[in-house]
Amino acid sequence: MLKINNLNAKIKNKSILKDFKLEINPGEVHAIMGPNGSGKSTLSNILSGKKGYDVSGEILFENKNLFKLETEERAHEGIFLAFQYPLEIPGVNTNIFLKTSLNAIKKARGEKELDALEFLNLVKKKAKELKFEEEKLNRQLNVGFSGGEKKKNEILQMSILQPKLSILDETDSGLDIDALRIVADGVNSLRKKDNSFLIITHYQRLLDYIKPDYVHVLINGKIMKSGGPELAIELEKKGYESYN
Amino acid sequence: MKKEIENLKEYKYGFTTDVENIRAPKGLNEDTIKFISEIKKEPKWMLEWRLKAFERLKKLKEPNWQKPKYPKIDYQDLYYYSAPKNASSKPKDIKDLDPKILETYKKLGIPLEEQKRLNGIAVDAVFDSVSVATTFKEKLNDVGVIFCSISEAIQKHPNLVKKYLGSVIPITDHYFATLNSAVFTDGSFVYIPEGVRCPMELSTYFRINASQTGQFERTLIIADKGSYVSYLEGCTAPMRDENQLHAANVELIALDDAEIKYSTVQNWYPGDEDGKGGIYNFVTKRGLCKGTNSKISWTQVETGSAITWKYPSCILKGDNSIGEFYSIAITNNHQKADTGTKMIHLGKNTKSKIISKGISAGLSDMTYRGLVDISSKANNSSNYTQCDSLLMGNKCGAHTVPYIKNKNSKSNVAHEATTSKISEDQLHYCQQRGLNSEEAVGLIVNGFCKEVLQQLPMEFAVEAQKLVGISLEGSVG
Amino acid sequence: MEEKIKNDFEKIIENSKFSNKDIELKRDFLNKFIVSGFPNKKLENWKFSDLNQIIKKNIGDLSFYTNYSIPNKLNPSIYIDGLEHNKIVFINGRIEKIDFKYEEKDKIQISDQFELKKDTKVTNSLINLNNAFANKYFKIVIKKNYSIRKPLVIYHTTNNINSKNINLRLDFVLEKNSSLKIVDIFNDQSEKNFINVFYNFELNQDSILKNYKIDQIENNNIKYSFNNIVQQENSVSETFILSSGSNFIKNEINCDLIGKYSSAFINGIFSLKQKKHHEIKTNINHLIDNTKSYQLIKSVLENESKAVYQGKIFVDSKAQKTDGYQLSKAILLNETTEFNAKPELEIYADDVKCSHGSASGSLNDDAIFYLMSRGLNYTEAKKLLINGFLLEVVEKITDSQIKNLIKNMIGLKE
Repeated sequence: MLKINNLNAKIKNKSILKDFKLEINPGEVHAIMGPNGSGKSTLSNILSGKKGYDVSGEILFENKNLFKLETEERAHEGIFLAFQYPLEIPGVNTNIFLKTSLNAIKKARGEKELDALEFLNLVKKKAKELKFEEEKLNRQLNVGFSGGEKKKNEILQMSILQPKLSILDETDSGLDIDALRIVADGVNSLRKKDNSFLIITHYQRLLDYIKPDYVHVLINGKIMKSGGPELAIELEKKGYESYN
Repeated sequence: MKKEIENLKEYKYGFTTDVENIRAPKGLNEDTIKFISEIKKEPKWMLEWRLKAFERLKKLKEPNWQKPKYPKIDYQDLYYYSAPKNASSKPKDIKDLDPKILETYKKLGIPLEEQKRLNGIAVDAVFDSVSVATTFKEKLNDVGVIFCSISEAIQKHPNLVKKYLGSVIPITDHYFATLNSAVFTDGSFVYIPEGVRCPMELSTYFRINASQTGQFERTLIIADKGSYVSYLEGCTAPMRDENQLHAANVELIALDDAEIKYSTVQNWYPGDEDGKGGIYNFVTKRGLCKGTNSKISWTQVETGSAITWKYPSCILKGDNSIGEFYSIAITNNHQKADTGTKMIHLGKNTKSKIISKGISAGLSDMTYRGLVDISSKANNSSNYTQCDSLLMGNKCGAHTVPYIKNKNSKSNVAHEATTSKISEDQLHYCQQRGLNSEEAVGLIVNGFCKEVLQQLPMEFAVEAQKLVGISLEGSVG
Repeated sequence: MEEKIKNDFEKIIENSKFSNKDIELKRDFLNKFIVSGFPNKKLENWKFSDLNQIIKKNIGDLSFYTNYSIPNKLNPSIYIDGLEHNKIVFINGRIEKIDFKYEEKDKIQISDQFELKKDTKVTNSLINLNNAFANKYFKIVIKKNYSIRKPLVIYHTTNNINSKNINLRLDFVLEKNSSLKIVDIFNDQSEKNFINVFYNFELNQDSILKNYKIDQIENNNIKYSFNNIVQQENSVSETFILSSGSNFIKNEINCDLIGKYSSAFINGIFSLKQKKHHEIKTNINHLIDNTKSYQLIKSVLENESKAVYQGKIFVDSKAQKTDGYQLSKAILLNETTEFNAKPELEIYADDVKCSHGSASGSLNDDAIFYLMSRGLNYTEAKKLLINGFLLEVVEKITDSQIKNLIKNMIGLKE
């Protein structure tokens, strides 16, 4: 599904990712773990098409060259990024935003767009599953939301937009244990044989709830070690220093 | 702290020094200018420059848009030059200085001969119209830093002076700046050569002593490529019934990658409780970030003067240059201040920051006036401004007048301002912990000013903190 | 100009029925105007908008003459559809229709039998001009305890005139515990005129004024609108300004809060898509304790447009417990746009809460990126953001009917 070959990324001449390689197949859950400044967020930014990086190498998503696609086109193809710091957008109603977004994706895929009623039903159902207060959906996007609510909102968006590849950038940071469980349940319910996940995290905590198939250790822009779920536990014990 | 405040209740710098003076005859005319130029043994070009400014001055009118109004100044009834008799030619060694003057600076807390051992700050001491002493000259010489009086620089470094004097504040500027260009008497000159980080803080201490005398000093600081300097300025004057005029010009030039940090603690005599006497502090300060990646930072603590009227500004010409303005202005009794800054963004990626804290008490009046101007060419530039006012009592005023011009869609300007008072709860809390009301106010006001105080070099910060407390004496009912 | 303006003035006097006292006063106002002329940028208030230059450049020589004795033909097609409303229709500065058909007759008093007053507390050269040239002005009184049932729409229409100065004035008195809702709307069918509007509002105890000022239809006229509001105890004024259609318009609001617990709200939108220059200038004077003011101005600027917001909050030493707030935000969409602000505070009381904020800049790139990562293209993302940006101001409108009307006008979605 996703193939990253020799990805190099620089920002203002500072090298951040170096010959980065990763392959994710349909249905797989990969976790990338690394300390602060290792390049984790750069990776998610580049996958979602954020500008300002100097990149070389190749990223293929379902055999399409991602570098040739705009941010929204990537979203249409089925890439979803759950942001580490979801933005507050004053004045933009959450429901309107979600509906506009969902229909933009459906339109791009040639599917039938939802009318207001169909959309509302869908949102209600999903919000309930994620224990997300419906009332909040009538508020401005993320404005006045707590950290946990913002993260839950990201997962809600994910479950509505039904992406093929979901990238979770430090989704666990700032979550209490209950919120963490709800978020993990949300992710697990979306795990299907065609859907893949890339979980980017500093701590092993989230991986207690979302069991990855593969774990990669990212240090200084390079994957230093890859393995199964046991690697996360080993990391927790030994710390990142031992991989330098 | 308490005892200290008690001791400082009076304006402790209000004494006069009894020295014999040489004065220019009263009055503003060509002869006075020639007198000044001659006594300073200036080259011809300097006199011509002054006279050109004087010609211009005749065509200018005093500005009147500022909020504090003042009685008409009779420019013909002022002395434009006054110097201690035996200091008119500067002594080579501090030991040769008039002991009375040495004593004066000791009383002001700036003991010239012990300075070295005290805190490693090089001081240029200006007494009325002349620089009487400059410390640490040799040590600075070793690294190529030129730190001397502007009079000396005119003679010894004419090329630097010619190139930069008037390059930021032209002789065609506003009334008081042009007046200064015509009659400036002394001041400091600093040149930091390429790549040099000035090894110590440089400082000028201005003292007005003689009566009926205007003080017109001129400071010029040039930071060559990749250099750094931190410069401090302090001021005091004796208590006199008359109002005295202080119209200084300060020009800063920062070339590529250079940084100038300019700090002022202004404590001119503010006049008495009834508003009698005090200094008119009409000062023009302007910095030019000429080179790319250059930076100029102004910090000011303005507690003195009857009227303060100044806008230390930055012209951000070089790409990526940075301008900063940190200000605390306190007015009490009948004091008036109209102060702020201008940030003129001309280059790309230029950034500026303005933090202004104004405190008014008694019958005083305080105005923040500022301009942020982002030109259409200054892509990706930004400004952040915060101006907070604190009022104590309802007989004083606080006025915030920011002018914001943004002509660039790729640049961002953000401005915030608040006005508040010291809450009863805060006072109560402090008093419950054993502070008296004045100490509590001092503490809270210092907290209000913290962001700016932090910008000051250590030695000055302590002094400034005390000043903040003292200036508000008697303002809590 | 002097001779021309004097001739035009005498012609108006000849053709109208002013009392001798009025004529004398009008001549006084005229002379005052002649001394000062149109305001220019040397005046602090006009620093960012040099009206003298703007008139010179866009109109040239103005004619000040209007024959008030000849009626103009009404064109009902300009009336707002689907909104039951009372009307006042101005055509070229002359009142052609006053219709309060939805209201109880004895609750609204309309009269033009007022004499000019020599000393108006607020004054400037354009008010002098207005007083010199405006036709007999109407005073509309809303009686005690009466709330108007339907909004009053004031239509300002121009047609078939060119290079003319139009002056018009209305005075409103809201008696105790009354309320009035006004939609003030420009409908220009002609170009290159200078329109000078002056409204006086007297708000007595517990009265409520809602004033929605709409300049939306594209036109090439130059306008100045001055609203003077004086508020007694516990009265509320709400002003909304949509500044969009004219070539130049300056909306100036002066509000004196002289009664305790009175409050003033001003919300405004600059939506400028072409080469235009608009300004909002406010003076809120807190003159007694426990009063409140709130201002929110948002701008979206495109294509060589320029917007100016000068907002001043003045707090008298008697005005303890004042709550004053003011915020302006601008989005500059092109490199050729310009936003100038002068948010000013002048405060002489210590127990007050006053703040202002101003921000201008480009669209938030991170927000655009966030929306695009959810599948919107750039244009859609931009539209959604601007929509949300402006919606916050429109949502402040307390009358839901008018709120929807204005939303439709500017194509805002909820």
